[in-house]
Amino acid sequence: MKINKRAKREAEQLFRLCLVNRGLDENRVRHVVQRVVAADRRDSPAILSHFWRLVKLDVARHTATIESVTVVPADVQAAIEAGLMRRYGPRVTTIFAYRPALIAGVRIQVGSDVYDGSVQARLTALQKSF
Amino acid sequence: MGNLLMEIEAQIAGARTAAARQNVGSIRELGDGVAKIEGLTDAMLNEMIDMGDGVTGLVLNLEETEVGVIILGDYTQLKEGDEARTTGKLLQVPVGKSLLGRVVNVLGQPLDGKGPIKSDITYPVEKIAPGIMRRRSVDQPVQTGIMAIDAMIPIGRGQRELIIGDRATGKTAICIDTIISQAELNKAAEVAGDSSYRPLYCIYVAIGQKQSSVARVIAVLEEAGAMPYTIIVSSAASDSAANQYLVPFAGAAMGEWFMDNGMDALIVYDDLSKHAVAYRQVSLVLKRPSGREAYPGDVFYLHSRLLERAARVGEKYGNGSLTALPIIETQAGDVSAYVPTNVISITDGQIYLETDLFYQGVRPAISVGLSVSRVGSAAQLKAMKQVAGQLKGELAQFRELAAFAQFGSDLDAKTQAQIDRGKRIMEIFKQTQYHPIPVEVQVAVIWAVQNGYVDRVPVPRVRAFQSTFMDFLATRHVELLATIKREHTLSDALKAELKTVADAFTQTWT
Repeated sequence: MKINKRAKREAEQLFRLCLVNRGLDENRVRHVVQRVVAADRRDSPAILSHFWRLVKLDVARHTATIESVTVVPADVQAAIEAGLMRRYGPRVTTIFAYRPALIAGVRIQVGSDVYDGSVQARLTALQKSF
Repeated sequence: MGNLLMEIEAQIAGARTAAARQNVGSIRELGDGVAKIEGLTDAMLNEMIDMGDGVTGLVLNLEETEVGVIILGDYTQLKEGDEARTTGKLLQVPVGKSLLGRVVNVLGQPLDGKGPIKSDITYPVEKIAPGIMRRRSVDQPVQTGIMAIDAMIPIGRGQRELIIGDRATGKTAICIDTIISQAELNKAAEVAGDSSYRPLYCIYVAIGQKQSSVARVIAVLEEAGAMPYTIIVSSAASDSAANQYLVPFAGAAMGEWFMDNGMDALIVYDDLSKHAVAYRQVSLVLKRPSGREAYPGDVFYLHSRLLERAARVGEKYGNGSLTALPIIETQAGDVSAYVPTNVISITDGQIYLETDLFYQGVRPAISVGLSVSRVGSAAQLKAMKQVAGQLKGELAQFRELAAFAQFGSDLDAKTQAQIDRGKRIMEIFKQTQYHPIPVEVQVAVIWAVQNGYVDRVPVPRVRAFQSTFMDFLATRHVELLATIKREHTLSDALKAELKTVADAFTQTWT
């Protein structure tokens, strides 16, 4: 979808309105989406499309995805969560996921930061070095 | 054996593997050699990005939610959603003497099939130019071997002299002649064991040129034996606009290595008009706002930051130099276009080539009136200054008088003599391509012209006279030429000797 500058600007303004104490307020986001849909403007789809992208990026910035091959024990989970909170602040939500492709080890992604301690990553690095 | 196994087990148990932090993003948009990547929050400007599959990108735009990356290499394998990673490294190219005699691309990879380049040193492609305190004034000459330039528009080491003119007026030929001249001087100094001579290494940067043109340049330089002192950095017309945009900066980095290590280098940018066009293309694809002629607003800064890297640095900093000869191609002789005026204002002078002169047979077709060297006269040899000091003025006067003489009115004897002298000087400055003339020979020839030895020679025979006189000097008076070269000045004794030689020659020449 072609998103023009005006639609982008309006989406950014709406996104800023959804921030409370530098954090995204979910209720405000829902409210904004409902209002824009109800307004039924010609550029509503473009505004919502850019708004969705901004929300997605913000959510990704504050979501830590922890991938592993086996279920991570509760004490290790708690240690990981505490470490992530220390580094990225209390707003970080953690999601534990199962990913057999890693072979072994853990991969953590928060926004664009990746901590990859998996065997798969090491094998890839080894392959690149040849 | 049991102990060994236990030792290994203990070491495995004690081994800790740390997962390094990486910054990743995903390709959101891809096209025309440019990618928009979401994420990459740690990306730096001009940082190399690992796009996977051995493809490298270069960060040019940092935006709020994404980065704009130009892709170096084959981007057809990449697709939307692919992962890209920061590398923490700025774009770098190999530098050093091992590049001499080689033809390389924008990343310093060989294109000549002569095997890998053995260089452990790399330089960043984008580098801040030497500051005021590091610089010193230009005072050493670059002998181009082209008489019209060495006599009237002298170039010094560390200078930036623009070569400007329409298509097919001999812009590249001047640069190739200069490179050949440097190779001959370097070789002569090596043979003579002259340790006081500072060799001048050359870098020829081909930007958006036809592959056939680059191949022709290489062939000419190889034939002239100039390749061992030359690096050719090429991004041909078939390369992506991103590569064409980066190639002069890569060449400048290679030249800077010589400068930083107390050596002298000369770099030819052939040509910056095509470079500006490539940059315009990259900027438009990156959706940067366009200005005059659709060029981005920073097209001046693009060329100023490139040409400012040419400098002569002080003795404390190695005493090296990087001389730049940028080329600009004009359209229908229009020097007031956007890019030509920009580069004219950045450089320390320009050599303007005229199509009309070219077709009149004046080659090199240098327009004396419009060409100027702002700092080179300080670097000119004293002997050349002594004989050629008045030359530019005399030629300008000749042009003016010749224009009046076209009306067919009667001329007084003095005016007629000035016109006759001017015609002969014009003939003397005609020069065959790829045959640079040593400066001592130039001094002797111009001295002969200034002292009336050519006045009696009919204009159509002036070149024959000059050629025979040069042969006469080179074969029978080698010592005289060597003295001029060594002393750098024309003493009364040398002038007297030159007079004797010229008298002897004119008596025998028919």
